[in-house]
Formats: sequence, C-alpha cells, structure tokens
Amino acid sequence: MKEPATSENDPIQKRLNKILETRLDTDKDTLEALSDLSTFFTENTLQTRRNLRSQIEKRSVAINENFLESFREVKLSLDSICNEIDAMAKSVNSMKENLRSSQALTHDLIQQTNSLQAESNKLQIDQQIAGAFLSRFQLSVAEHQTLYGAVKDAPITPDFFTVLDRVQSIHADCRILMQSGYQTAALDIMEEMTLHQEGALERLYRWTQSHCRNIDSHDVGSLVVQAMSRLQDRPVLFKYVIDEYATARRSVLVRSFIDALTVGGPGGNPKPIEMHAHDPKRYIGDMFAWLHQAIPTEKENLLLLIKLCDKNDLSEQIQNALANIADGVCHPLKIRVETILNSEKDTIILFAISNLLRFYQNIINYVVKGGNLEQCLIELRGHSEQSYLNALSAQVRSILQRPTTQSMGLDPPQRDLVPPPSVGKLLNILKEILSVASMVEGRQSDITKIVSCVIDPLLQSVTESASHLPTIDMAVYMLNCLYHMQTTLAMFEFMDERMERLQAQSDAQIDTLTSEQASSLVANLNLGPIYTILQNSQARIEANLLKIFMNKMDAFLEMPDVLLLPQINLLLSSTHRSTVQKRSFNVIITIYKQIYERIHDPESGYESPESFFSKTPEQVAELLSG
Amino acid sequence: MSSGPYNYNYIFKYIIIGDMGVGKSCLLHQFTEKKFMANCPHTIGVEFGTRIIEVADKKIKLQIWDTAGQERFRAVTRSYYRGAAGALMVYDITRRSTYNHLSSWLTDTRNLTNPNTVIFLIGNKSDLESTREVTYEEAKQFADENGLMFAEASAMNGQNVEEAFLETARKIYQNIQEGRLDLNASESGVQHRPSQPGRTSLTSDTPNNKDQCSC
Repeated sequence: MKEPATSENDPIQKRLNKILETRLDTDKDTLEALSDLSTFFTENTLQTRRNLRSQIEKRSVAINENFLESFREVKLSLDSICNEIDAMAKSVNSMKENLRSSQALTHDLIQQTNSLQAESNKLQIDQQIAGAFLSRFQLSVAEHQTLYGAVKDAPITPDFFTVLDRVQSIHADCRILMQSGYQTAALDIMEEMTLHQEGALERLYRWTQSHCRNIDSHDVGSLVVQAMSRLQDRPVLFKYVIDEYATARRSVLVRSFIDALTVGGPGGNPKPIEMHAHDPKRYIGDMFAWLHQAIPTEKENLLLLIKLCDKNDLSEQIQNALANIADGVCHPLKIRVETILNSEKDTIILFAISNLLRFYQNIINYVVKGGNLEQCLIELRGHSEQSYLNALSAQVRSILQRPTTQSMGLDPPQRDLVPPPSVGKLLNILKEILSVASMVEGRQSDITKIVSCVIDPLLQSVTESASHLPTIDMAVYMLNCLYHMQTTLAMFEFMDERMERLQAQSDAQIDTLTSEQASSLVANLNLGPIYTILQNSQARIEANLLKIFMNKMDAFLEMPDVLLLPQINLLLSSTHRSTVQKRSFNVIITIYKQIYERIHDPESGYESPESFFSKTPEQVAELLSG
Repeated sequence: MSSGPYNYNYIFKYIIIGDMGVGKSCLLHQFTEKKFMANCPHTIGVEFGTRIIEVADKKIKLQIWDTAGQERFRAVTRSYYRGAAGALMVYDITRRSTYNHLSSWLTDTRNLTNPNTVIFLIGNKSDLESTREVTYEEAKQFADENGLMFAEASAMNGQNVEEAFLETARKIYQNIQEGRLDLNASESGVQHRPSQPGRTSLTSDTPNNKDQCSC
C-alpha cells in the first residue's frame, strides 16, 4: 500500500497519510466508541471536555467493578460445581469399587450358569437324538397295537403289513447299528424285533388259517394273498395254512360235486348228473367231465392264493395241496363207478367205460399228481378192465356151452364142415368190441387180452369138437374155423402176432390135408407099388403096372377134380382149396417125373420107353397146374 | 396288490363244437394267441383255453372248452356241454357236409345245455372264397330260422374271430342284466367275482376292512 521508501523518510507524513487514509465511517471500533460516547457525553462543554477523560476512566472502573462482581459470582458457582464433581467422582469411585467387588463375586456364578446352560443344550440334543433313535428303532404304541391287535381276534388290516415291514426294516437296520459299534443295543433291538416278528407272524398265521378254514366261495381276499407271501418264510406255518385251505376246498368240492350229481343247476337245469345213471357211458362221462372242469379252477385259485410267494419252489406243495383237495371226490366217485361196473353186464359198454376211464385218468393225472384220486383212478381202471374181461369171458362161456350138457364145447360139426354159428357169434362180439372207438393210445395190450379172451377158448372148443372127426374132416373143419377167425381179425390193428399163430395152425392143417390128398391120389392112380419100386433103385417096374398107372393117369389128367377128396370142396377158403390141390398134384407130378426119368434111363433097359408115356412130365405139370 | 386278487368280474364258460377239421382249435388259438396255428393236430377229447375280455367295463374271463370233432370222442365231448353259457358251433364253408351236420349239432346243443345258452354259428375258413360250397345267405337263413347268432370268420387271417367270441359274451352279459341267468347257481356257466373281498366269512365281521382294501 505504501511505498516503504517514501514513508520512512517522513514519519509525519506517514502519520498524516495514515490519518488521511483512515476511513472513519468504515472503522467499526471507532464508530462504536463514538456511539458509546454519545450516550453519556451529551453536552459538549469545556467542562465536560475536561472531565471527559476522568469520566471515561470512571466508567471504565465501574465496568471493571461490574466485571469483578460478575466473575465473583461465576467463580462461586464454578467452585460449587467443582465440589459437586469431586463428590461425584468420589461416589463413582466407590461405586466402581463396589462393582469390582461384586463382579468378582458373580464371576463364579456366571461361569456355573454358562456351563449349566451348555449342559442343558447338550442334553436337549441328546434328547432329540434319543427320540429319533427310538422312533427309528422302536414301535410306537399305535404300531404295537396294529401288530398285536387291540382286542382279541382283531382282524388283520393292511396297516398290519406296513408295521410288519417296519419291524423287518428295523431288524435290518440293526446290522448298521452293530457295524457302528453299538453291539449291545443292536442285539437287544434285534432280539426285540425278532420277538415282534414271531408274535406278529403267529397272529397272522392264526388269522390266515381261520380265514382259509372258513373259505367257501372261490374268493381269496387280497389280504390273505399278502399274508401268504409273509408266511412263506415260515415253511411250517405256511404248510399248515395250505393244508387248512386244501381241507376247506376239499369239502367245498365234494359238496359241489354231490350237488351236481343230485341237484343239478338252478331249476334242474342242467339236470342232475344222476338223472343219466341209466346210461352208464353218459353217467360216468358226465361225472369225469365235471371233475375235469372243476379241478383246473381249484388249481387256479390255489395259484392265486400263493401268487406273491416267490421265495421257494412250491410246485411240490401245490401238487400235494391239489391232490389233497381232489381227495374228497374219490369216495363218491368210486362208489358210483363201481356200482355201474358191478351191475353192468354188457361187454361193449364195459369196454367203452374202461376206455373212458383211461382217457380221464390221463387227463386228470396231468393236473393232479399223487394222492388218492390218482390211486382211485388206477383202481377204477383196473376194476373196469377186469369187469369187461370178466363179462367177455362169461359171454364167451355161455356161447360155447352146449345147452344140453354142462360141459364146454361147440355144437358138433355138421356134414358140411362149416364153423358152427357160435364161432360166428363170438367173432361178431369180438368185432364189435374192437370197433369201439378208442380215445386213448397204447391199447395194444388191451386188445391182445380181449382177443385172447375170445380166441383162446374158441380155439380150444373148436379143437375139441374137431378131435372127434376123422383126420380129413378134422383138418377141413379146423381150417374153416381158422379161416373165419383170420378174416375177422385181419381187419384190426395189433393182430400180427395172433395172425401168425393162426396161420401156423392153418399151415399145419393144410399140410395134413395135402398129405391126405396126395395119399388118396397115389392110391387111386395105383401108384403105390410103383412108388415102392421107385424107392429101390435096382428094382424094375413091371410093364403092366405101368400100363395100369398110365391109363388111370390119362383119365385123371382129363378130369383132375374127380380124384379130389370130397371134403376139399368144403373148404371155405379158395386159397386153402387151391393150395391143397396144387401141393398134392405137385406130389403126383414129382412121382411121374421120377418114373419117366427111370424108364428113360438106359441103365434100366426098357425098350422104346416112349411107348409107355403119352405125355412128358412138363405136359403133365402144365395140365395139373393149369 | 393294487387291484385285488382277481382281475375279472365274471367267468363265462364256452364250448366250441362242430365237425372234425372245421377249425375249432384254430379259432380258439387265434382268439387266445392271436396267431394262426398251421398243422394243428386233431384234438384229443377236450382242450381248454382262457382269455380275459371286457364288456361294458366289466372284465370277463372266458373259459373255453374246445371239443374234439372226431366221432370217437363224442361220448366224452357231450359231457362238456353241461352248464355252458355260450356255444360256438362251427362249420367249414368249403365243405358242405360240415354244414349239413349242423342240425344234429344243434339238436345235441339244445338237448344238453340250458335254454339260455347263447349259440353262435361260425362259418369258418372265409378266406377260402374260391372253394366255397356254402353261401353266406344260406347259412344266415339257417341261423335266423333257429335263432342263432351268425358270422363267417377266418381262423387263418383272424377276420371276425374276435367279434364272434365278444358278441357271444355281450349277449350273455345282456342275459345277466335282464336277470335271465342266475349267478348264484353253480352251473349257469357264469361265475361272479365280486371285487371286494366281502364274501369270505371272516372279513364280514370287520366292516372297515372294505375301505382299506384297495380294489
């Protein structure tokens, strides 16, 4: 602002400048001082101007006294405040002291409380764990009740199985528990669960058993099916239940069977089976058809009962149970069939029944194996076979018996040597039996038996009555009878062996007949002496013998039939006839050839051998076999 | 066990009859297995087949007895008519003789079954049109005159096979609905299976059981 160089030079100027530069209107202090001055300096007099200074000083003293006064008060107040603060500090200190001592006192308590609280927390957690453990490893009261039944004989509910599952899962969980090192607890719980399981299964067993015992419709409840699947782990209980079921079904089956036999359907439609008792085939067929249809249903129901049992192979138990169920019908069935078998006399019907029995035996054995039914069917079949064979034997006997005498035998052969009517009758019976349609395979042994039953006594009788006849008649008669039998039997199966035997017997008779016919020819042709000579190679055949023979031979060749035995024409079989004829003629041809060769032999010394013979052996053979 | 032990409400018994070789067993096989059985052997006596069908939302188990056509088994097969709810009478449209024997089959059926037995006439082998010997119209007339249901079918290609068995079942079911068949009778050819296990004697004294059984 001011140039120092100039101001230094002149302090007055400086001062002056300063005053000049002073701007009064802007100097606050001065203004205030002036305004203050104006309050008491009211009169501008000399006096006053002289006194101004002292006046101002007076005022200043007064003001300072005022200050002093005021500050004294302030100081007093401050002093009292200070005192109070001191007191406060003192009491704070004492409080502090108190606190410190009480803190020291409560420290243990707090520690104790904390530890108690920690313990309480821990116990709470423990409690939760224990609770969880219990709910996991123990049954609740409700579950317990479900398992054992609230009241005696309470029914099994589906919940029962849930609880039983739980018991089992607890038991299984115990293994984990054991692995985790809680052997004692695990073992205890396991034991407990085992007891529960046994108790529950025992109850389930009793319930199921009594349920099965009372089962009379076809229905098996789903609970029972479930129960069976639980019981399969206890084979003994399982078996008892199955036994009970089978026993119950057995009586149901018998009841329905008897109903079908005696009551029939509603309003008698279908009619009761026994309505057909007069028609044995129908009657017995109906009974077996009914059984055949009822037993598969039983099997199906049984399989349903054990539908959920998959742990063991039950096929044997099923078989036994089915056999057991079917047992009951044996008695009524057997009585009825046997009544028929005992009263029926007709061989054909008996044979048909036997066939029927065998047919059903096969079918039913396919479903039910073992047990009384199988045995019953075996017996019935045996019985039926015996029955028809007996009936057949009786029939054969009555036909073979001569009415006048009591001895066995046929009517004596007539002069025509045809088989007596009884042979035809018997063979017809045989034919009828063999024609009965068979429904079963493997009846060869039956047929063999039947054929023996008829043919053996027949052959015996034929032989017996033939034995009274002369040889030729006998042979022809036998051949005729055998022929009749052969032609009848040839129509049927399984006759090979019998036919062979009959053929052998025929052959024997044919041989007999051939030799008789040949002898007769030899005799008639006067060949006897010539033939004797022929046997002796040295001897010479007399010419006149030869001549007689040749004459007869020529006549014979003209009409060979003339020299046939009359009985040969009584042979029924043209084959037999021609066989006998041919073979006996062959004998003559052979002899003729021998004679011819002997005469033509130069060693025999015949002159002009040609003169003896009108025909060569070849020509003779041709004539005789033509 | 969500559906109870039975998955059906009724059992119907059927028999299949007709001359030898008309295809009875093949029809049954086609129906139960949905396949054609070539070289089917002659039936010995009686064979048996089942299938579950549905009629009016009811499950019905058909128990089908397939009889032998051969004369020698007639004595046996006659016993199976007893209590049949349905009879399928089959002839072969390519063999007139099998058609001509129908009246004797029908007589047998009428004599041996009850009046409510539903009889369905099937002209089998409809696939063999070229060797046909019996016309549809002729057989239809025979069926109408005798009050039989009728269809031509083919066990070979399956045509109408299903329909014949199902139509018969529908008719039987209708008879039940109209009260013409007595279900309680053991030999009506029909058995009723209630879905609830309420008929066995033990469950009856536990009324709450029925709700718990989910059937």
